[in-house]
Amino acid sequence: MAKDTRLEDAVMSGELSVFDFCCEKVEGQMERMKEKNPDLLWTLQIQYDMWHQVRDAHANGKKLVFFGGPVPVDIIVAFDCVPVYLDTVPIRLSPNPVLTGKFIDAAEKYVPPTTCGLCKTYLGTLVEDQYGVEADAFVYSSVPCDSSRVVYPNMARMMNVPSFGFDQPFRRDERGLEYLVDQTEQFVAFMEEFTGHKLDWDVMKETMKNANRTYELQGKCADLRKHKPCPLPGRMLVMNGTSNAMSCYPEMGNLLEKELETGEMMIELGISPCPDGEKHRVALLQNMLWSFSGAMDWMEREYGAITVMDAFGYQHGEIYEHMDDRHDCFRTIARKMENSPMIHGAAGPTENYIYLVDKIFTEYEPDVSIFLGHIGCKHTWASAKIITDMIQDKYGIPSLYLDVDGIDGRYKTHDEITGALGQYFDTVVNK
Amino acid sequence: MDYQKLFEPEVTGEAIKAWRGQGKKALGFICCHVPVEILHALEIMPVRLRATGCAESPDGDAWMSTFSCSYARGMLQYWLSGKYALDGIVTSDGCMMSARCFDNAKHVDEKNNIGKFFFQIGAPRKTGSLELRYYINELKDLIEKLEELSGNKLTDEKLKASIAKYNEARELMRQVLELRKAENPVISGEDALAIALKSCDYTVEEFIALLKAFLADAKNRVPITDKRARLMIVGSALDNPGYLKVIEDKGGLFVADALCYGSRPFNHVMDVDEKDVLGSVAKYYLTRIVCPRMMDNREELQKWVTETAKEYRVDGVVYEKMQYCECWGGESMFLEPMLKDAGIPILTVEREEHLANAGQLAIRAEAFIEMIEKED
Repeated sequence: MAKDTRLEDAVMSGELSVFDFCCEKVEGQMERMKEKNPDLLWTLQIQYDMWHQVRDAHANGKKLVFFGGPVPVDIIVAFDCVPVYLDTVPIRLSPNPVLTGKFIDAAEKYVPPTTCGLCKTYLGTLVEDQYGVEADAFVYSSVPCDSSRVVYPNMARMMNVPSFGFDQPFRRDERGLEYLVDQTEQFVAFMEEFTGHKLDWDVMKETMKNANRTYELQGKCADLRKHKPCPLPGRMLVMNGTSNAMSCYPEMGNLLEKELETGEMMIELGISPCPDGEKHRVALLQNMLWSFSGAMDWMEREYGAITVMDAFGYQHGEIYEHMDDRHDCFRTIARKMENSPMIHGAAGPTENYIYLVDKIFTEYEPDVSIFLGHIGCKHTWASAKIITDMIQDKYGIPSLYLDVDGIDGRYKTHDEITGALGQYFDTVVNK
Repeated sequence: MDYQKLFEPEVTGEAIKAWRGQGKKALGFICCHVPVEILHALEIMPVRLRATGCAESPDGDAWMSTFSCSYARGMLQYWLSGKYALDGIVTSDGCMMSARCFDNAKHVDEKNNIGKFFFQIGAPRKTGSLELRYYINELKDLIEKLEELSGNKLTDEKLKASIAKYNEARELMRQVLELRKAENPVISGEDALAIALKSCDYTVEEFIALLKAFLADAKNRVPITDKRARLMIVGSALDNPGYLKVIEDKGGLFVADALCYGSRPFNHVMDVDEKDVLGSVAKYYLTRIVCPRMMDNREELQKWVTETAKEYRVDGVVYEKMQYCECWGGESMFLEPMLKDAGIPILTVEREEHLANAGQLAIRAEAFIEMIEKED
């Protein structure tokens, strides 16, 4: 039976917006899952909640704050605005190279082809005017990379809505932390002016409590992955990305609670997601391969190789401790921004990246090291030799370098990717 | 004084050798947010690193991968191969490519126990008072480290003297750049870039002496009358005058630029507040418009390019984008329409550090010049 591509076709022709597509797509997936696998419905619920709250925000009388890079989402939510994390759009579209390609091609009229696919996709969606909702404000940061530094301010100008930019310090130290705290105070003033309301600290405390729950659970899920065999599939690492947008909503905690329960059950039963048992533990040294997350299933199936952790870096998030102390809370927010995935490892000095990868090898004990290098992430490529030399010297593990485009699936076919991975397993890992 | 060496763009190391021969330190620096006045005031020779003439970069490629900008790889190649005999590198976080050039140079140094001086300061990407305060504190850290390295103490008086010296160089360079406004300038774009490059690895005193000699003789130079179009060049770090020569050989004449190795660092003199000399230095470096690494003054940069193009009566702009340079790569989104609104045609070209595509560039330049040249 031919695949039903009506939704994709409607996006391609410009008749359907991206957010409508995301909503309708997840609705269809949930319908099918209700029939075939109702026990796993929880894996989709968070997507359902996220896309619908964005699409319906204006109908629900809420303002939409688009954001890029690490910004204080907890504050946006405390002002009763709906945060829209730009990265979620390309990540959601990336499994379909034709759809992603439409927006990437649109963006390449304005930015070089070497710009990161994430940036190109959300810029292209704006160029094509296909978000389907209008941003009321735009908040962005000077990280993670040169691509975003170009694209975020350009998008702010295109949107022509109130905007706020955070300047992330390059190094992580006390001065940088207080610098971000000061900017957070400026941001609160910006939000107060934008919404016409003062920040209600009681509401802020609620968002902080939710965020704490999310990151405590995320830490526990990460810890489960240290177990041998690793109880959770590599694919589930992809879902961590949602927490950037949703950590301060209870729904994110609910998802992680289910993930934790599942992982604990797998440990109890001694089951691995690898059908023939766990033979290898893989560390991915860069971002997720969103355009082909099935590569992780494939490694599990073909080589018993489970991805235990990635250097995208969701392990233990920052926790608010003294919620009545505004300055202390803003310091936590600053640390969250500094330690946000893609930022803490890759956007600062290479020392941070070494620290993160070293921690993965110490704590998760992988025996396979793969640098699935997203080509848009040039600054991680430029650190890769330092990182892989460290892994070789300290852990005696050689690394596979494979260039991929984490978003634009046209760059390499699935067969090319699995072919290269397979050769590596056959000729190096299982030699 | 013979000023001919102003037109020799190669990295020679001659001035560096002489300086270090006196037992003094010389440091390389990357990007435009390291205040050279501070180094100079501490009797450290600042040498802006570049990759001029780097035709291949095997070590740079190995460390940074070929997914990185070839200019940054070229600088790393020169550093690792010993082309620069310096005591270390100071940098700010310009773009991620230059930051990684620094990281790899430092890593190799540490790995091999060489023990050179490496220091990095953070340079904000916004220009407000909060950002200025942060930057001043970063500069204070830099000063402390450089005082240790040089054994000298920085005072306001020393800093003011250095500022005066660099302001003199900026003023003389302004006079050089003014020559390009003439109907028939006595200096080509290739020569103007070569002169600016000389400031990278000569002491400011030598540079000033050369500029003075050149300006004294400028009136005796033969005006350039055989060119068909006045051009401006904008874009990524360009430290190879030969690139401009290819285009000028086809009938263009570069009379203006927005290049960080060209006129950009010389466009303003530094105003000094006697009560806050370091603050003056910080304000100057943070607010001067050099490249699109900043987040909040990009429109100003674009307006500056457009106004300069008008002021120098250019017939067209050549916009060169280094492969993997996202900063300049994406700047065209608003700059192009702004230039087009001003009636200024643009030729966009992609390039690498080494001049690999000269033939193709020449063909495209010739076509562009034919398109924009004005009939007398």
